Amino acid sequence: MSAAIVRMSSISKWFGSQRVLAGLDWQIAPGQVVGLLGRNGAGKSTLLECMLGLRDADGGSVALFDEDVAGLSDEARGRIGYVPQRTDLFDWLTPVQMLDYFQAMYPRWNRAKVDGLLSRWGFGPHLLGKPIKRLSGGEQQRLAIIRALAHEPDLLILDEPVSSLDPVGRREFLRELVEQVIERGTTVVFSTHILSDLERVAFDLAFLKDGRIALQGQTDALLEGARRIVVPAAALPGAPLAGEVRRRQQGGVASVIVQAPGDDVARLAREPGVRVEPMTLEDLFIEVTQ
Amino acid sequence: MPTHTASLFSIATGSPEPIYRQLVEQVRRLSAGGQLRPGDEMPSVREIAQALALNPMTVSKAYSLLEMEGVLARRRGLGMVVAESASAPPADRASLLRPTLERAALEARQLELDPDTVLSLFATILKETK
Repeated sequence: MSAAIVRMSSISKWFGSQRVLAGLDWQIAPGQVVGLLGRNGAGKSTLLECMLGLRDADGGSVALFDEDVAGLSDEARGRIGYVPQRTDLFDWLTPVQMLDYFQAMYPRWNRAKVDGLLSRWGFGPHLLGKPIKRLSGGEQQRLAIIRALAHEPDLLILDEPVSSLDPVGRREFLRELVEQVIERGTTVVFSTHILSDLERVAFDLAFLKDGRIALQGQTDALLEGARRIVVPAAALPGAPLAGEVRRRQQGGVASVIVQAPGDDVARLAREPGVRVEPMTLEDLFIEVTQ
Repeated sequence: MPTHTASLFSIATGSPEPIYRQLVEQVRRLSAGGQLRPGDEMPSVREIAQALALNPMTVSKAYSLLEMEGVLARRRGLGMVVAESASAPPADRASLLRPTLERAALEARQLELDPDTVLSLFATILKETK
């Protein structure tokens, strides 16, 4: 495997007395498409902002393309595309003025791609001449995505890029992302609560919990391996099962989540009153992040 | 030989079954049922990825697995085709239904239905969808 494109080591971040990132380690390899999952307020945006050097971490280090993020070269900067959760930057400009402004900053700006996306995503002359602040939330979001794709980034960071888009808009966005991955092998980090989108495009998933990456792996392997074991509490061994993620007990019944069932689960499954159930991504999200 | 399109596939998200598995099962079923015949050209990874908005690596993974199982074969210049030996005898075809029926059996047990009720319901459904 080639060197990581993103390398975060022991990242800590405090907001007042609250520790949002707690010695987080995370590496992303070239060409990976990673979905970042976590509850509201788990620190996903903070994590992505620290990754990009937009926010200083209180401890630890971040390297992008093997360069320290604090002193990132213009060349490395030009290889990054970012869609923030909220884009109120330059909102007094019209889309045309904003895109012209950014075009001047990036040597690799693909004008044909921008024009293609603008016309496919419904930006007619009327919208293109309107100040961005008067566009709808969905239109602003589509514009931010176009801006982030225009210079053909090698690393694309998307912070809830589709929260204002309807299902058609989301599907168009996913197709564009797939195209980007096919054509250019772009590395993508993508935070969203829309799990069906992640199932489609995120080959890997990472769960942020308590300021760390609590669980990470291939989407397929996580789904195939995850099992919920419902077992009479008396029949459950006190020691954790192999690959145990969490256990809960209510009355006389325990529910254990394992990442990949081992021999102990197979043995347990033969006991009376024990159920071993497959899990959906939504089940897994709830169990891992709660 | 006919060339198939990505409309061959339909994907369900929110299922415990990963998407690459769904693709694999669909090709197996279509080939066992004769909708896919030996020599038929399969849609390309790129075409499926774009049509269904899927990560191309997920589609590649499904195709590689089907190639390893001998259901599909890689043909130079043509991409993936249905393998010559792909159509399975009837007994194997019935076994493809087993995972679906096992799930139904689990639910039937949870609902405490007796086997006769379940079987007669299944017989009714088979007639309905003919």
